[in-house]
Amino acid sequence: MTTFDIVLGSFLVSALRSATPLVFVLVGETLVQRTGSINLGVEGQMLVGAMAGYGAAALWGDPWLGLVAGAVAGMLLSSVHGLLTLAARANQFASGLAVWMLGFGLSAYYGAGLVGRKIEGFGTWRGAGPDSVPVLGPIVAGMTPTVLLALVVAPAVAWWFWRTRTGLVWRAVGESPEAARAAGLRPIRVRLQAILLGGLLSGLGGAALSVDHTRTWAEGMTAGRGLVAVGLVIVARWNPWWVLPTALLFGGAEALALRLQTADAGVSAHLLLTLPYITSLAVLTLTCLRDRGQAAPAGLRAVMDR
Amino acid sequence: MHLQLRSIAKRFGAILAVDGVDLDVDGGEVLALLGENGAGKSTLMKLLYGVHRPDAGQVTIDGRATRIDSPRDAMASGIGMVFQQFSVIPALTVRENLALAHASTPWFTGRGARRATAGLAPLAAIAPDVPMDARVSSLSVGQMQLVELAKALQQDPRLLILDEPTAVLGDDEVRRLWSLIRGFATRGLAVVLITHKLADVAACADRVAVMRRGRVVASGAARDFDATRLLRTMVGERDLAAPSTAPLPADAPTRVWIRGLSARGPGSRIDGVDLRIARGEVLGIAGVSGHGQDVLADACAGVLSPDAGEVIVDGETLFAPRQRAPRAGRVAYIPEQPIRNAVAPDLPLALNLHLDRLHTLPAIPDRRRMEADARALLTRFDVRPADPTMAAGRLSGGNLQKLVAARELCGAPALVVASHPTMGLDLAASAFLYHQLFALAQAGSAVLWISEDLDDLLHHAHRIAVLHRGRIAGVVPADQRHRQTIGAWMTGHADAEAA
Ligand SMILES: Nc1ncnc2c1ncn2[C@@H]1O[C@H](COP(=O)(O)OP(=O)(O)OP(=O)(O)O)[C@@H](O)[C@H]1O
Ligand SMILES: [Mg+2]
Repeated sequence: MTTFDIVLGSFLVSALRSATPLVFVLVGETLVQRTGSINLGVEGQMLVGAMAGYGAAALWGDPWLGLVAGAVAGMLLSSVHGLLTLAARANQFASGLAVWMLGFGLSAYYGAGLVGRKIEGFGTWRGAGPDSVPVLGPIVAGMTPTVLLALVVAPAVAWWFWRTRTGLVWRAVGESPEAARAAGLRPIRVRLQAILLGGLLSGLGGAALSVDHTRTWAEGMTAGRGLVAVGLVIVARWNPWWVLPTALLFGGAEALALRLQTADAGVSAHLLLTLPYITSLAVLTLTCLRDRGQAAPAGLRAVMDR
Repeated sequence: MHLQLRSIAKRFGAILAVDGVDLDVDGGEVLALLGENGAGKSTLMKLLYGVHRPDAGQVTIDGRATRIDSPRDAMASGIGMVFQQFSVIPALTVRENLALAHASTPWFTGRGARRATAGLAPLAAIAPDVPMDARVSSLSVGQMQLVELAKALQQDPRLLILDEPTAVLGDDEVRRLWSLIRGFATRGLAVVLITHKLADVAACADRVAVMRRGRVVASGAARDFDATRLLRTMVGERDLAAPSTAPLPADAPTRVWIRGLSARGPGSRIDGVDLRIARGEVLGIAGVSGHGQDVLADACAGVLSPDAGEVIVDGETLFAPRQRAPRAGRVAYIPEQPIRNAVAPDLPLALNLHLDRLHTLPAIPDRRRMEADARALLTRFDVRPADPTMAAGRLSGGNLQKLVAARELCGAPALVVASHPTMGLDLAASAFLYHQLFALAQAGSAVLWISEDLDDLLHHAHRIAVLHRGRIAGVVPADQRHRQTIGAWMTGHADAEAA
C-alpha cells in the first residue's frame, strides 16, 4: 500500500468524521425549513445536546446513552422555540436567538463540572484486518457508529420525505400553509413536529460531536456549526438527498484546512479556517446561478395568518 | 342535507364583510349566489368552510347546530369548496395535490405519489386530459380549476361550494361544468354556485340569492328572476351603458408588430406567431385555454424572454431574445391570475399601484402624495375599499382585478396586453373596464385582448386571431358570420372555408 493511499484514505476518514455531526443537524434544519419556518436556535440545541450527551456518557459510561440523552436534550430545548413561535406567535428569529442563548447558558452552567472529565468512547474496527485494502481500508477502519448512523439517517429521511404520505404533507405545508389548511391538514402541528424533530437531530448532532468526534466537552465547543447548518440548507437546495454531499463538502474542506495547517503551508491559520465557508459559498453561488433560487419552499417567504 | 345559516356576521377591521346573513340550502338544489364585487360572497362561504370564524351567528346542518372551526371540521361535516383564489399547490404535481387530501392515500406513496391512485377517479371523470404528473404550475388556469374541483369532489361532499368556477373556463368547459353541476344536484348534493354570469344562473340554478354590502338583499326561485330583474337587483337602478369600440379607419397604420415570435412557458409554447395590430385596433385572441395564450401574453409584455422573433412597437424592437426594454408606460399588461402574477399581496394598495415604476420614485418617496394619487386612482376604478394603506391580499377577487386594471390602464400605453381582463368582475365593473380598454384604443393604443368568451370577442374586437397549439390558425374580422370558421380553427380543423 502506497503512502498516497494511506493519506487519501485517512483524509476521507477525517472528512467523514467532521461531517458527521453536521449531517444530523443539517437533516433536521432542512426539514424545519421545508415546512416553512427557520430555527436559528439549532446552535443552542447542539450545545445542549453535546453537553447532555457527554454528561450521560461520563455518568453511565455508555456512549449510546450519551447519544440518546443528547437527542432528548436537543428536542426539549427546541420545544421552547416551538411553543414561542407557534403557540405564542413570537417572531421566529427573535425566538431562535433566544433559544441559542438559552442553550449556550444552560450548557455552560451544567457542563462546568464536565470539563476535563474522561469518557469511554465508541471503539473502532481496528485489528479486523482490512488495513491492507488501498484507500477503503483506512476508511473502514476509521468508521465509528455515529458515522454509520449519519450515513443511514440522511438517505432514510430523504426517502421518507419524497416517497411517503407524511413527507408529502410536510412538503405541502412548506409550500402553502393556507392551501394545506384548506385541504384539511394542520399546518401548525406539522411545523411543531418538524421543529421537534429538528431539535432531536441537532441534539444528536451535538452529542455525536462531543461523545464521538472530539471526546471532550468545552464551553461553546460547537463553534458556530449549528448556525452554519442553517445556511448550508440553502447549499443543499432544501433537499434531504443533498444533505450528505453538502455536509461532506464542508467536512472535507475542514479536514483539508486542518491538514494544510499541520503541514505548515505558510498560510495563516485564520485564513485556512475560512476555507470550508468559502467552498460552500462558491458551491452555493454556482447552484443558484443554475436554478435561480427556484428550490426554496414558497412558504418560507409567506406570512401565516388567519 | 339541509343547511341553515342564521345571522352570520364577520368583521375585518373597519369592514363589516358579512352582516347578519340568513341563508338556506337544500340537498338536490343549486343555489346561485350573486352580488357585486366585495359584497361578501366569498367571505360568507369561507365562514361556512371554516377558513374564517364567524363573529356571530349559527350554522345548522340537518337540524343540528354545528361548529365549524377549520376546513377539517367542514370536510368532516360533508362540505367541500372550490376557492376563487385557488388552493392547489403549484410546486406539487397534480397527483400529489390529489393524494394530499385523500383519506385512503397509502403511507408509502412512491416517487411523485405514483402509488396513490385512490383519489384520482373524479379527475379522470371530469378532465381525462389533464396530465397527472405535471406540476400544477405548468397547467392552464382552466385545468387548475378542474383539478381544484376534483380535489373537492374526492371528499364525497354533501354540500359543494363553487366560488366563481366559470370565470376562467372556455365555452365548452363551461358547458361541461354546467352539466356536471346539474348531475351533482340530481345525485342529491347541495350546490352553492357563486357567479357573476347570468348565463350560469339560467343554465343551472334552482334558487338565487343576491348579496350587497354583506347582506342578502333578495332571494327566491330562479324562475322568478329573469335576466332584467336579476340585473336590477344586482346593480340597482344605475344604467349600464353597453361599451363599444369605435370603427377602425381602413388606413390605420400598424402600431405593433409581433414578428415571428416563439417562446416556451411552463406548460405550453408559441411557435412563430406573427401579428400586426393597427393604431386603435382591438385584436382578440380566441382559442381553447392551454394552447399558448399565457405564453403569448407573457412574451408580448416582455415578462417571458422569447426564443425567436421580436415585438416591435412604434418601429422599435422592445423585446427579442436577450433583449428586454423596460415596459413601464409603453406596454400595459393585465395577466391572468393577478393574485399570483401582478400584485404583492402583503404590500399596501398604494405601493401596488406604483409597482411598475418603483425606480422612478424619488429616493425617499413622498408617502402622502403617493397615497393621495392612489386614492384618486382607486376611486376612479371603483376599487373598494379605496384605502391606499390596506394590504392588497385583503381585497375581494374582483377588486383585486380592478386594482391591476387601475395600475395598467391609467397611462397612455402603446400596447395593451389584456388576458381575461374582466375575470371575476361584476357586470357594472366589466362594463366599466371595457369602456376603459376601448377608450385607450380610441386614443391610439393597440390592444391585444385574450379571452375565452367568443361572444364578447365577436361583439367588441375588430379582428379575431385563433391560437391553436401555439400557432395562429387564422385571422378574421370579428363578425358573427365567421363564428363557424373560428370554432373550427379552435378545435384544430385547419381549414373550414366551406363552413
Ligand atoms: N382577509 C381579509 N382581511 C380584510 N378584509 C377582507 C378579507 N377578506 C375579505 N375582506 C373584505 O371583505 C369584503 C368582502 O369580500 P369578499 O371576498 O367576500 O367579496 P366577494 O363578494 O367575494 O367579491 P368578488 O366578487 O370580488 O369576489 C371586501 O370588502 C374585502 O375587502
Ligand atoms: Mg369572491
